[in-house]
Amino acid sequence: MRRMNNNFLLIAGFSIVLLGGILAGCKKDFLNRIPLGQYTTNNYPYPSGGGPYDQYVFAAYAGLRTWETSVFGFVGAVSIRSDDADKGSTAADAPAQIEMDNFPVTPTNGLTNDLWTGYYGVITKCNVVLDQVARDSANTPEPTKNLAKAEARFLRGYSYFMLVRLFGNIPLVDTVLTNVGESNISQSAPAAVYAFIEQDLQYAASILPAKWDVKYIGRATSGAANGMLAKVYLYQKKWGQAMAAADVVIGSGVYDLNTPYDKIFTEDGENSSESVFEIQAYADANHKEDSYGVQYANVQGVRGTDWNDLGWGFNVPSAQLDAAYEPGDPRKASTILYAPSTAPTKYGEVFPVEPNPRYNEKVYTNPTVRAAVGDRFGWWMNIRILRYADVLLMYAEAANELGGAANTDSALSKLEMVRARARNGNNAILPAVTTTDQGELRTAIQHERRIELAMEHERFFDLVRWGIAANVLHAAGKTNFTPGRDELLPIPQTQIDLSKGVLKQNPGY
Amino acid sequence: MKQLNSNQSNYLRTWQGKLLFFILTAFSLIGFTQKSNAQNITITGKVISDSGQALSGVSVAVRGTNAGTATNTNGEFTLSAPANGTLTISHVGFTSRTVPINNQQTLTITLSTSAVTALEQVVVVGYGTQRKRDLTGSITVISGDEVANRPSVNPVSSLQGKVAGLTIVNSGQAGASPTVRIRGVNSTNNADPLYVVDGILQTNIDYLNQADIESIEVLKDPSSIAIYGLQGGNGVIIITTKRAKRGQTTVSFQANVGIQKLNNKVKVVDAEGFKTLFARQLQNIGAAPFDFTNYTANTDWQNQIYRTALISNNSLSVANSSEKSTTYFNIGYSNQQGILKYDNYKKYIARLNQEIHITNNIRLGGEINGFYWQQNPPVGGVQNGALWAAPIVPVKAGDGVYYSMPSFQRAQVGNPVAAIDLENGNTLNSGYRVTGNVFAEIKFLKSFTWKSTFYTDLGFNQTRGYGSLPFHFINFGEGATTTDTSYNNLAHTSVNQSQTLYKTYQQDHTLTFDKNLKGGHHLTVLAGFSTLYHYNEFTNGNRTDTSLNIPKNSIFWYLNTAQQSNPGTFGGGASEDASISYLGRVNYAFQNRYLLNVTFRRDGTSKFSPSRQWGNFGSVGVGWVLTDENFMKGVSWADFLKLKASWGTVGNGLNIGNYLSYPALNNANVGIFGNNIYTSVVAAYVPDPNLHWETVEGKDAGFELHTLKNKLNLEVDFYDRKTHDILTTITLPGASGNTGYFTNLGTIDNKGLEISAGWKDRVGTDFSYSVNGNFSVNTNKVESIGNNINFQITNGINLTQSGYSIGYFYGYVQTGIYQTTAELDKTPHMSSSAPGDISYKDVNGDGKIDQNDRTYLGTPFPKYNFGGTIAMGYRGFDLNVDLQGVAGNKIYVARRTATFATLNYEVNRLNAWTAAGTTNVEPILDNTRANNYLFSSYWLEPGDYFRIRTLQLGYTFNTSRSKNSAFKMLRVYISGQNLATFTHATGYTPEVPVSDPVTAGADNGVYPVPAIYSFGVNVTF
Repeated sequence: MRRMNNNFLLIAGFSIVLLGGILAGCKKDFLNRIPLGQYTTNNYPYPSGGGPYDQYVFAAYAGLRTWETSVFGFVGAVSIRSDDADKGSTAADAPAQIEMDNFPVTPTNGLTNDLWTGYYGVITKCNVVLDQVARDSANTPEPTKNLAKAEARFLRGYSYFMLVRLFGNIPLVDTVLTNVGESNISQSAPAAVYAFIEQDLQYAASILPAKWDVKYIGRATSGAANGMLAKVYLYQKKWGQAMAAADVVIGSGVYDLNTPYDKIFTEDGENSSESVFEIQAYADANHKEDSYGVQYANVQGVRGTDWNDLGWGFNVPSAQLDAAYEPGDPRKASTILYAPSTAPTKYGEVFPVEPNPRYNEKVYTNPTVRAAVGDRFGWWMNIRILRYADVLLMYAEAANELGGAANTDSALSKLEMVRARARNGNNAILPAVTTTDQGELRTAIQHERRIELAMEHERFFDLVRWGIAANVLHAAGKTNFTPGRDELLPIPQTQIDLSKGVLKQNPGY
Repeated sequence: MKQLNSNQSNYLRTWQGKLLFFILTAFSLIGFTQKSNAQNITITGKVISDSGQALSGVSVAVRGTNAGTATNTNGEFTLSAPANGTLTISHVGFTSRTVPINNQQTLTITLSTSAVTALEQVVVVGYGTQRKRDLTGSITVISGDEVANRPSVNPVSSLQGKVAGLTIVNSGQAGASPTVRIRGVNSTNNADPLYVVDGILQTNIDYLNQADIESIEVLKDPSSIAIYGLQGGNGVIIITTKRAKRGQTTVSFQANVGIQKLNNKVKVVDAEGFKTLFARQLQNIGAAPFDFTNYTANTDWQNQIYRTALISNNSLSVANSSEKSTTYFNIGYSNQQGILKYDNYKKYIARLNQEIHITNNIRLGGEINGFYWQQNPPVGGVQNGALWAAPIVPVKAGDGVYYSMPSFQRAQVGNPVAAIDLENGNTLNSGYRVTGNVFAEIKFLKSFTWKSTFYTDLGFNQTRGYGSLPFHFINFGEGATTTDTSYNNLAHTSVNQSQTLYKTYQQDHTLTFDKNLKGGHHLTVLAGFSTLYHYNEFTNGNRTDTSLNIPKNSIFWYLNTAQQSNPGTFGGGASEDASISYLGRVNYAFQNRYLLNVTFRRDGTSKFSPSRQWGNFGSVGVGWVLTDENFMKGVSWADFLKLKASWGTVGNGLNIGNYLSYPALNNANVGIFGNNIYTSVVAAYVPDPNLHWETVEGKDAGFELHTLKNKLNLEVDFYDRKTHDILTTITLPGASGNTGYFTNLGTIDNKGLEISAGWKDRVGTDFSYSVNGNFSVNTNKVESIGNNINFQITNGINLTQSGYSIGYFYGYVQTGIYQTTAELDKTPHMSSSAPGDISYKDVNGDGKIDQNDRTYLGTPFPKYNFGGTIAMGYRGFDLNVDLQGVAGNKIYVARRTATFATLNYEVNRLNAWTAAGTTNVEPILDNTRANNYLFSSYWLEPGDYFRIRTLQLGYTFNTSRSKNSAFKMLRVYISGQNLATFTHATGYTPEVPVSDPVTAGADNGVYPVPAIYSFGVNVTF
């Protein structure tokens, strides 16, 4: 019995030593596990010369390549809704786009929620940049901080500009929301949103460089900010300010119209001297269809069945657009891709009969690039958001609206610059506009915007801001279009539900 | 020397170091305790039944030690034991006895046949065992025999219908793991249960041989689960594998071989039906008729992609036991072909278990289990493809030349046979897994047991694959176009490789005190310490050869075959987590009547930030055996009656990410400028600094009754289980855009009732039968999911929000079909509605149909689960019938909702509306009417089903009559599984996926569950 006790003590002793050893060995470090093979914000090795904010800024740019911001809902809302484009694809495909084409768009339409969350996603990423800068306790040089702020405010301004045109009444968020309770923000009127956008873009214009080093080509510039600002003024009929902002771009000497119209939209025409701002996309054999690129061209590409299967075939030029061109206008052939082909395309391809007679040639990819990437779906195609021709036409429009002989002359000369490039030396076509009648010139400028910027995200918004949407769309057969309702998309029902009714639906829905 | 010491202590901090240290310690302990066994005497004895027959194979053990033996065929045993010790004698079907030795060297012991054997059954609970009669919680035990003979490669799938409160959704894919839910869905995250295999915590048991399982315990209530703390929130399934029984040497072989067949095809129209319906659809749209001239085929695509497939399971085990040691060895081989062509899964298993009884008080043991699997996975998407492909297209024209679908679906629907043939053999998946443990157990001072176990689970999976060149396709001419052959010349061959490594280390140390105290008190106290560590690492890559065509021969399917300048992508990563746990449990019984179970566990985990790492969990359970009370002595209707109730909390931390307290960085958001790519990393979500695990709080009350001379037993349990602080990524309204916020939010409640009943009787001497049934009902409710905002999780079909069941179907209610314009005018409708369209219910009564008329349409989760077993035995024959079913759920027929192309029609569309009065269910054939494609009750069908799960007829040869027989036991059987399923669901199977709680219940091309006809044999030598 005595022996047993001894043994027990030994066992107990060993046990305690053993247990103690294990505990001491484990407890402190054992539960401390830092992510493996993955950076955190604490241990990210910033590239030499790169600012600590680049990573956040780049993420905001990446937000513009997403499905939500710039792909399906985008082409639906900015183009299919207009008289220039039909839904495309096949008759039954994508009920959500049928609504975009025919009105009304119902509040449960998933594309509206995509657009909403997409642009607010970019805004959040911009707010994160601004928050990081504001909390910067390191000795980061002021210019570095200001540059990050300027890029963020440019992208945020652009996102709000899209949202205000799409939805009208939207919540204004300028901080990073982390509290569930505080995140439910009510809507601001469009005027307040426009004022907010102006401040963002004015700040961006004052800080951003006129040009970036070639390795950062396509990054937001002061020209992009001023050009966007001009458009924001134009939408508010602030003609003088619009003209002034456009004039800054024109006077910057950075941009010209030397790129032939049929080259602007090709792979070779990306970031040309005409480009004021475009969403940058990339694809190669390793990144055929991923987040490096954007699906924008894919959803619009020719809906073929073999080598000619270039995409889903949505957003196709309408018969009305086809008929709107002046005789012999060469821009038509650079905008509308016919199926079956009436002649070999610029790359020598001949399309057979496809589900639609016309496709958007501005997203038509070069077969050489397709072969190099090993993919037909065009995720590498940049999206042209703002071109120099657009800036010139904005200037012309603002000048004409301001009126007066000098302004009218100025408007005519800017209009002629655009038409001259389109004419491409062929004086038999596209005669110069000479009228000095404000109304006639207005019509001419509106026509020029439609043709020059056809299929480029302007038409529906232009119709609405010119106040002619109902007339034009009804004439184009879109008789469901109801003035007072269909100028704006409905606030997505999902968002109204989430907000417990804090968000109010737009009128008429 | 100092240097050396520091090395030593570093070494001890590693796992291997600790293991070695412990083993050395254990062995040194053995040396010390060896001496204490000097006072033993040798006892010889005999065990007989109350009718005087010698009983063989009876377990004779020395209480409080590991010493023991079994009787031989004459009922005799010899054993060395302390002169003042106590023997425990137990045998299946007899009441166990304890006999004091009192220095006697010869003993004759009589066992009486047991009245309530089921109650004496020993149940494995966490870190110990308990008699079933003493349980205060809700644990269902399934014997290994019930799964061993079933023609299935995964042991869990055979539990379907066996356990009240357990929902199992099987898949027909070869080797697939089923989805398992215990008592409903209690989280918006993964709701898979924890598996505990011989003590090691696991997330799956794919590596086990189903014929090698001794028992499966399903732990359902908090007082049973609480001992597993943070890991146990979704319930626990304990698996005990077979061991050698003391005193026996047996060789047993089990095998079954069967064929599997698709017995429910989805009813789609044939070529003629398709032509009629498509022509009518084009007419309705106002489109030009389609030119069918070249489309003369009538192909049943389902017949083309499915096959009759083979399944076989084989298991050989050898068990040997001697005075000092037991050895158990098992090898197994299973091979399952999938009924979808070329799907194949093979598994090979070897397990060795060894225990050494060094002294009566010291036991050492270990186990090693090796597993190798091979898979040719099925091609995804063809289950739907076969339903969608137009039946008017022939299959193939020759080697590598197939027909493409008509232009209206050519780019969207591939030729399903071409898809299968192209991928045939292109993916080689395989994996190795080794699990093992070593343990030492020391009994001391009669009542104490110290046990230490180290476990490991090492896995290594690899995949090699090949990207073929495409086939040539013949495109039939339609109208103006002519027939031609096309080939995608952008395609190149490619190869890929990926490898994944898994490591798990676990150690458990428990000290148990077990003693009968004076005055009828029985006390069992357990204290323990455990750590768990997981690690996984993967690398993968692929390379496309843009200049050469790599042959379709697996000897070339390595990355280096394609030379390095070719394009490729490569990836790799790793992840780890660790936890530390302290656990304790007190079981107390007074006069076997009053039962108390108190459990505590404190868990720390690396998954959360240091301030929120630790949590305490626990439970209290009480039981009262009324039939042991004096006032019940005269009551004849109850042989055994126990009331029980329990309360407890557990964590639900099993299936959550490893680095939640760090904001996950998303490096997909690269900056692109021109053709330059810039790395960018940004938080994928906004993290909540107070993030912690989900907590499940459960209450359970029930009773267990044995009556009618123990022929009928009945168990009834009520439960109420509430999950608090559910971990969710939420999208804040608008404001945050699509950036998620990850937080603890919400409460989900599951309430339910479980009833299990069994009846067992014998008619005459030759015929015996039993009937067992179980039924459960579960009600799920999301009690809260955010306060200031009306937070929902929705994919447009399923909705999770406060006040409703999780992931319920949310949409419009179909009231019929608008028959005429006149009817349309007087009925609420959408502005785009026309005659022939679905009419929807004006739920809010505002006279118009819009998004506010969407409502609750049903739940994807069965409210009722039921199952039953009927067993009959007549002489050597036995017949087993397993029945199983669910009710109360809905299935979303997602496979029919596609509008991106014209697809083949299911037969319901033959009844589509054509004119007033033709139908009030099926809308007009016009897929441009978007309002008919809104999610509504039209797209739901009842998910109820009742299935004859197993029908098995066996014959056991009477080996006792022929003493010279080579066998101890020989049974042969034929078996049918999934023979018939009675359901209104129109898919391949009503078992549609429910693994993701918030998007469950969609039939979007599920893998059919086949009928299996098999033959099997069990032999014991």
